Amino acid sequence: MSEKKTLEELTKYFKDEFKTKIISIDIKKRAAGSKKLETSTIWMKIDKTVFKDVIKHLIKYQYPHLAVISGNDLGKNIELIYHFTVNYGERLKEINLHISVELPKSKPEIESICDLIPGALITEREKQEFLGVKIKGIPDNRKLFLPDDWPDDVYPWRRDETGPEKYYKNLHEVNKK
Amino acid sequence: MKSKTTTKTTYNIPVGPIHPALKEPVFLEFEIDGERIVDVDVKLGHVHRAIEWASRKRNPIQILYLAERICGICSYCHPAAFALGIEAAADIEVPERAEYLRVIQAEIERITSHVLWAGVAAHEIGFDTVLFLTWEMREKMMDLTEFLCGNRVTKGILTIGGIRRDITKDMLPQITKSLDYFKDNFEKIRHIFLDDKTIKLRSQGVGILTKDDALKLCAVGPTTRASAIKKDVRIDTSYFAYGDLDIDYITPDILTGEVNGDVYDRIIQRLLEIKQSIDIIEQCLDKMPNGDLVSEPKIPKLLNQLKKVEGEGVGRHEAPRGEVIHYVKLTGEDAPFTWKVRAPTYNNILPWIPMLKGEQIADIPIIAASTDPCMSCTNRIGIIKDGNRYELRKEELYRLSVEKTRRLMR
Amino acid sequence: MGFSMLPKVLSQMFKKPWTNKFPAKYQPSNTTKYLKAVGAGEAKINPPIPTPPGFRGKIIYDKEKCTGCRLCIKVCPCEAIEYKEEDKKIKIYIGRCCFCSQCNDVCPTNCLSMGDEFLLADSDPYAKALIVE
Repeated sequence: MSEKKTLEELTKYFKDEFKTKIISIDIKKRAAGSKKLETSTIWMKIDKTVFKDVIKHLIKYQYPHLAVISGNDLGKNIELIYHFTVNYGERLKEINLHISVELPKSKPEIESICDLIPGALITEREKQEFLGVKIKGIPDNRKLFLPDDWPDDVYPWRRDETGPEKYYKNLHEVNKK
Repeated sequence: MKSKTTTKTTYNIPVGPIHPALKEPVFLEFEIDGERIVDVDVKLGHVHRAIEWASRKRNPIQILYLAERICGICSYCHPAAFALGIEAAADIEVPERAEYLRVIQAEIERITSHVLWAGVAAHEIGFDTVLFLTWEMREKMMDLTEFLCGNRVTKGILTIGGIRRDITKDMLPQITKSLDYFKDNFEKIRHIFLDDKTIKLRSQGVGILTKDDALKLCAVGPTTRASAIKKDVRIDTSYFAYGDLDIDYITPDILTGEVNGDVYDRIIQRLLEIKQSIDIIEQCLDKMPNGDLVSEPKIPKLLNQLKKVEGEGVGRHEAPRGEVIHYVKLTGEDAPFTWKVRAPTYNNILPWIPMLKGEQIADIPIIAASTDPCMSCTNRIGIIKDGNRYELRKEELYRLSVEKTRRLMR
Repeated sequence: MGFSMLPKVLSQMFKKPWTNKFPAKYQPSNTTKYLKAVGAGEAKINPPIPTPPGFRGKIIYDKEKCTGCRLCIKVCPCEAIEYKEEDKKIKIYIGRCCFCSQCNDVCPTNCLSMGDEFLLADSDPYAKALIVE
C-alpha cells in the first residue's frame, strides 16, 4: 500500500489518468459535532468505457471497501453508483468515493468487478434483477432476492412500464369496515 | 481401477430458509463429506418486503418509521443512516446537543444488541445458563431504552435534523444507575466468556476468516475488525458527535496480543465493544453542551423545505453489526426518488463461505451466529441421502451442537 | 475454570423469579371482555408494572380541540388516521397505529396525546376498543 493520499491528491490521481473520460468530480465536506470536524466525500461521474480501468486504478492505490452499488432509473439512462471508501484504518482520514456510471436503457451493460473485488457479487446480482442491468462476466447469474418464478421483464426499481406497478395492492384497504 | 459405484462421496444438506442460526430467513445449501463441509451456497430473499418500493409513496418523516421497522434490533441505526442521508442531501445542520444525544442512543443500542448476541451465541453451543444471565442484563438496558425513548424496541426517537427527546438533569441518576449495574456485571460475563473452558473448546480455531478474505469479501463491523481490519465508521469519519470523542479502534489483539479471526476472536471483539460503548456514553454525558434539540421544530415547514431540495446524499452509521449505508436522492417531490438501504448482514453473508468450509455440521450454528445474524428461531433441515429423505429439525441440529460440546468436555 | 456459571446458578435457586408477571395467569380468549370482568370485580389481575413517564401507549384524542387540519394524516407513517368529511374530525385505527407519536408532535392544537394503555391485543383489528374517534 502506498502513502495515503489527501482529498486533493486523490482527485488529481484520477484526473491525471483519465482526463476527459471523467465527466465531473464533486467534492463535498460535512462538519459534525462541537469541534466541527469534517468528513469528505468525492462524487465522481465517469464514462462507462473506462469504468473497469477506474476500478483497477483505484485498487492500484489502495484496496477499497465496496459498501454497495445503488441505482437510479433516470428515464433514458440507468445510473449505477458504486459506493467505495478508502483511507480507512486511521482516525478521521476516511474518504467516501462514490463512482457513478450511466448506461443507456436500450443496452444496459457493464462489466463485472467480481474478479477484482469478490465481495461485489451479492450487490451485482441484486442490480441485475432489480434494475435489469446486464452484468457481463458475473460468476453467478442466478436470482438473488426475487423468487425463481418472477417474470423476466419486470424490474422492481424501474419507473417505466417494466416497473412493478401492476403487482401493487393496497393491502391495508382490504377488509376495512 | 474404476469402481462401479458412484464416485460422488459428498451429499447436500439444505439449511433454511427459516433457520436456527439466522435472524433473517436465508437458505444455505451445504455440500457435506461425512461431517465436513465442502461447499456452501447461499440463497436470499425469503423476506424481501420491498421496503424501498414502499418508500415511494411516503414523505421523509414517514420513511423514518418505515426504516425503523427494517430490523427489530437495529431499530435506531436505520433511521439514523436515513436521516444522515437526507441531512447531507438537503444540507441541514444538526444542533450540537442533538448530536450528543444521538450518540448516546446509538451506544445504548449497541450494548443491547451485543449482550443479546452473547446470550444467543452461548445458547448455540448449549450453554443455556449464560443465555439467561446475559438476557437478564439486557433487560436492564431495555428498561433504560424505554425510560429514554418511550418504548422498548421501536424507539422512535430520531427525527430529521435532530432528536425528539431530551435527557434532562433529573433523568441522569437513572442512567448512571443502569451503567453502573452494567459495569459491575460486565466483569462477570467477561470472566465466563473468556475463561470458560466450554466456550474456548467450541470457539477457538473454528470459523476462521482471514484478513485477506475479510478485505476482499467486503465484510463489515465486528466481523471484519475481529480479522484485524481497522474499519469502524465511528472512528474513520466524523458524524454525530463521534468526532469530538476520545475513541480508538478495537481489535481482539488488545486483549490477547494476536488475531486469529476465529469465533473466539469475534466473541472478544464484541465484549470489548460493550465496554467501549459504556465509556462513550459516559463521555457524552460529561461533554454534552446545552442547546436546541431539532434544527426545525415545525414538521410541515421541514417537509416543505425538503420538497424543494434536489440532490443526493449518503448516510453511513456504525450499527452493532457493522456499517449501515443509505443512499437517498431527492428530486423536489414529496417522496424521495431513490432510497437504497444496505444493512450490515448483506455484506457479511459472503464471508460465511470461507468460514464454514472445512468445518463440521455441528459448528454451523455457532459460525453462522458469530457474524451476528441474530438467530431467531428455527426451522427444519432436510437431509437427502441415497435418495431417502430424512428430516433434520432444528432441535436435531441443536442437539448435535450440544453433543459436540459434551464430547469435547470429556 | 470448568464451571464458572455454577455459583451463579446455585444462588439463583434461592431467589425469586426475575421476570414480571403477566397480568392474567392464562391468556384470555378475549382481552376486552376479560378487562371488563376485571373492572366489574369478577376476575383478578396481576397489577401491571407502572409505565415510565413519556411512555407511548394508546392514543388519546380530544375531539373538542381538533380543528380538522389534517396535518396528522400527512405525517402518519402507516395510514392509521382517516378524515371524516361530514364533521371535519379524524378517526384513528389503533390496529394499524405504530405508536410513533409523530401526530402528537405535529398537531397544532395539541388534541392528541399518548396514553399509558398497552394491553391492546384483540383478534378483530376493527374492534371497538381499537378505534379512537
